[in-house]
Amino acid sequence: MLDGSIEGGWGYVITVYGFTWFCLVAYTASLVTRLRKDPDA
Amino acid sequence: MSKTWMVVALGFTLLVVGHGIGLFAAPPEAMMGDVGRILYAHVPTAWVALLTFLGAFICAIGVLWTGKLAWDAAMEAAVEVGVLLNAMLLIQGAVWAKPTWGVYWTWDPRLTSALVMCLSFAAVLVLRSLVHQVKRRMTLSAVATILFFVNVPVVYMSVKWWNSMHQEMSSPETVDATMVLPLRIAAFGMLFLAIGLCMARGRLALARLRREDGAPDLPERPQALDLDSGAPHA
Repeated sequence: MLDGSIEGGWGYVITVYGFTWFCLVAYTASLVTRLRKDPDA
Repeated sequence: MSKTWMVVALGFTLLVVGHGIGLFAAPPEAMMGDVGRILYAHVPTAWVALLTFLGAFICAIGVLWTGKLAWDAAMEAAVEVGVLLNAMLLIQGAVWAKPTWGVYWTWDPRLTSALVMCLSFAAVLVLRSLVHQVKRRMTLSAVATILFFVNVPVVYMSVKWWNSMHQEMSSPETVDATMVLPLRIAAFGMLFLAIGLCMARGRLALARLRREDGAPDLPERPQALDLDSGAPHA
């Protein structure tokens, strides 16, 4: 039974949020770069 | 700033606010403690991934109905953004599962159906990269998208239909009022961000499709060398 005392909880939280933001920012940056390179888009 | 980037900026802003409240103002979850804060990243990703695939499904019907390049470009964008969100969802879930279930992965109905969803829509992107004739690629990838969309309601309903370790879908009725606000803000943030990313990706796809449509079709297979014809070689 979980009782709110999971050790290292913030480590998992930071990992998930860091990974999520990394993916979203990296994908957005890749689209910005590709749109700048494509004069037709 | 174009309309596309305004939508992306709105998405990022709402996501910062939703995640900020979820991380620093919302109370720890009653049973999981601070690990429960993963909710504000994981659940919006799940909702919006399913909605993005719904968008891809609607675009696929548009492709078959009208045969227009704009629908094909929108479908390509929605599938790609959906696969990104789906892959993020699986990894977020695995990291959350470790402290709560004791394992990163288990062949649970929800997890398995979500993995199948990710791989099947990734296969649509692979299919699109393998077929060079524009009309043929449009038809094949639209049919594949419609076929693979059958699994999306299965993913959604899997926690109700089968005995799953995964909890049922969260809603304002099942989540404490203090957690609803950051969850809603983050969900709208992820939704606007996904819409903006689909718009940007769709512009790229449409520009490429228009160039391809104007160019002569490439042969699907390399022509076999005719060594017996006796034709002189250059």
